[in-house]
Amino acid sequence: MSAGVGSAPVAITGTAVLTPLGDSPDALSESLRAGRTAVAPTAELGGAAAAAIADFEATRYANVRGLRLYNRPTRLGICAAKLALAESGIESAGLPKEHVGVVLASTFGHLETLIEYDRSLVTAGLQRTNPALMPLSIPSAPGAAIALSFAAKAFSVTLSDGGASSFDALGLAARLVGGGRARACVVVGSFSACPDLLRAAWRAGLLAPASEYRVFDRRRAGVALGEGAAAVVLERLEDARARGADPRAVVAGQASTFAVDAGCLEPALRRAVERAIRGAGLVPGDVGLVSAGASGSPAGDAAEARAIAGVLGDGAAETPVMAIKANLGDVFDAAGLVQGIAALSAMRSGRAPGITGLEEPEVPGLGYLRREAAIQARHALATSISYEGACSALVLSRPDDR
Amino acid sequence: MRRRVVIAGCGVVTAAGTELEPFWRALMAGTCFIGPLRNFSVAGMEPLTGTEVELPEEDARQEDARGGRCAQLALAAARRALADAGLARGAPGLEGAGVVIGTTLGEERQVGELDDLWPASGVDGIDPGFFSRSDNHRLATLVARTHGLSGPTLVSATACSSGNAAIAWGYELVSSGAADIMVVGGADALTRSIYTGFLRMGALSKSICHPFDRRLDGVSFGEGAGVLVIEELEHARRRGASARAELAGYGVSNDAHHITAPDPNGEGTVAAMRQALATSGTTAEEVDYVSAHGTGTPYNDVAETKAMKAIFGERARQVPISSIKSMLGHTNGAASAIEAVACTLALRHQAVPPTANLAEPHPDCDLDYVPMKGRAMPVATCLNLSAGFGGFNVCVVIKRAP
Repeated sequence: MSAGVGSAPVAITGTAVLTPLGDSPDALSESLRAGRTAVAPTAELGGAAAAAIADFEATRYANVRGLRLYNRPTRLGICAAKLALAESGIESAGLPKEHVGVVLASTFGHLETLIEYDRSLVTAGLQRTNPALMPLSIPSAPGAAIALSFAAKAFSVTLSDGGASSFDALGLAARLVGGGRARACVVVGSFSACPDLLRAAWRAGLLAPASEYRVFDRRRAGVALGEGAAAVVLERLEDARARGADPRAVVAGQASTFAVDAGCLEPALRRAVERAIRGAGLVPGDVGLVSAGASGSPAGDAAEARAIAGVLGDGAAETPVMAIKANLGDVFDAAGLVQGIAALSAMRSGRAPGITGLEEPEVPGLGYLRREAAIQARHALATSISYEGACSALVLSRPDDR
Repeated sequence: MRRRVVIAGCGVVTAAGTELEPFWRALMAGTCFIGPLRNFSVAGMEPLTGTEVELPEEDARQEDARGGRCAQLALAAARRALADAGLARGAPGLEGAGVVIGTTLGEERQVGELDDLWPASGVDGIDPGFFSRSDNHRLATLVARTHGLSGPTLVSATACSSGNAAIAWGYELVSSGAADIMVVGGADALTRSIYTGFLRMGALSKSICHPFDRRLDGVSFGEGAGVLVIEELEHARRRGASARAELAGYGVSNDAHHITAPDPNGEGTVAAMRQALATSGTTAEEVDYVSAHGTGTPYNDVAETKAMKAIFGERARQVPISSIKSMLGHTNGAASAIEAVACTLALRHQAVPPTANLAEPHPDCDLDYVPMKGRAMPVATCLNLSAGFGGFNVCVVIKRAP
């Protein structure tokens, strides 16, 4: 069996999600299977599609120092990390903090604080700005706050790769854990669009009208920005088993590529998928479930479908495809982790959610799930194409197959 | 089995020069470039002191309409590094290469431009381009797109250790076989938040920075970029490339001490140095030169001095350690990448660069900081130290080419 991403097999021992459709992997998958959607019209943006967590209270999940200073995406990240660490049981395993690392996927997590600080310079002047905001205004600040919250001393890294962030974060973290740089690593993805970012996305024409929001569909009209956080705890499979933990999955393969122009999205994603599957020591026929990143993007969804169909070949029509952005919108920096965690829930329960709103697929030949369905999968593939052209693939396997 | 990784090419854009040889000569002469800034100011502040890069015309033209100053600096350094590595667009093996760019502040100036318009624009007048132009992932994707690179594109934010962290993640990808060539480094532009924030925190030098000197009173900032092309040893040999140095490994740690202040005893730095030595198969006795983080703040310079003693013991005073920030200012996320280039040049020239502005050492700084002028000496092994705001430390090991 292949060594997977790291130089030793790396397991997921804790998972957490904070989304408008549930604050645990079970609650989220129940909502998804019921076809509930969080995407709704935003009145102040002319009815454009967006999704947000209505009643997020950080103190309900985590009580750490400095919480009130941190902005919303940072709090979401801290809470997701806390929940994943709790599920993993690693905190009670007595692991020294020197052996715990943090990798955060965050491109825009600092932005609201930066705008607040910088705008106060412009409107109120130097002497009236709050100097405590500046250290929290840089891209690494949310990750540093998470690492500080849990005293993680092995490393604290932020990757800002847009929609590819949490795929790349999971890949890097698996390499670092597999290579022995930490015994445990919490990988977090967090996204919450501040008003300026949301408004700029709308004015740039990225957002679909909520009434026309759908993914993979011929009539898709743009994306919906979502909100949420997700986290997983990684350990070497061997270490997890030695301490009697219950590994949820093995990070079997991860690869990312870049499409140098819009015309090569499909081959770029195809390369990433092939590499991730090969790296996992598998063949395309082993993939039993696809958790796609389709976001309603005109170019991205079609290229993604073609790339998946191309790699799966004859098995494409029989391999179930789920696409949770149909329900959650694009949670951007958290997307890959949420896709992966939703796929794990589906593999464990044997039930996968349908793609809400999909009527006429643009690219035929894939096993799009139209409604909740029974599945049997031992290996799941998650895929994504970011707005910038970064293509990602992740293979998660059930631990008993490793 | 880890693959060996070499540095195949380097590029810098700094106040001390935008080509390697003039840059090196200026460093060796101990020329301090810190002075009044001509192209950057902050309303409400005295004329600012720091260093600026004068980009040649062809680089200024390269500025992609969708990238800001930070991306422009990264692009300019990457172009030089690829040329130095003998890799023209379309060269065999280059297409699969990836990019990792580290940054402290990223495209923060895009936020500045947004906020300058803010009182008039209000939320309804927000520039639609802001969504994509504030996306720091572009620091990597613009480099990839410009040079036709279709591997992973990562942007790593760990504050002022970002450049070294980018080198470390590139090392992970190449040594593990996920890529054969990676373009890695750091870039940062001057921004008003870093100036005003450090001023308000009392960490900005009142004159020019004086690392390790009795007069040390804070940081001087600069802008710049440093990029290295790293490559698997056999891959470089097969194409007849001359390796500039070996990238032998790295070490990381996180202080998890405070959101801004480093651990006063330098314990995090010691941990990163120990891991770097152990994982690269290097003994402390082999180390010929240490490139300091050396920011010119008492916190950093005294803690770093303690760390040197913890690692080298009795030998600490015989190991030269210098800070080229005394000449270039602190270029934030670019700094440790530029310093990695300086280490590579130290191996080529068998000489080490000095700490400028060092007339009388600080009472708690009693090592050989190579004051004022560079020194010819045998150099086979260098450690490149960096520490980030928020506590993430990275130490990179650079050795004579195999």
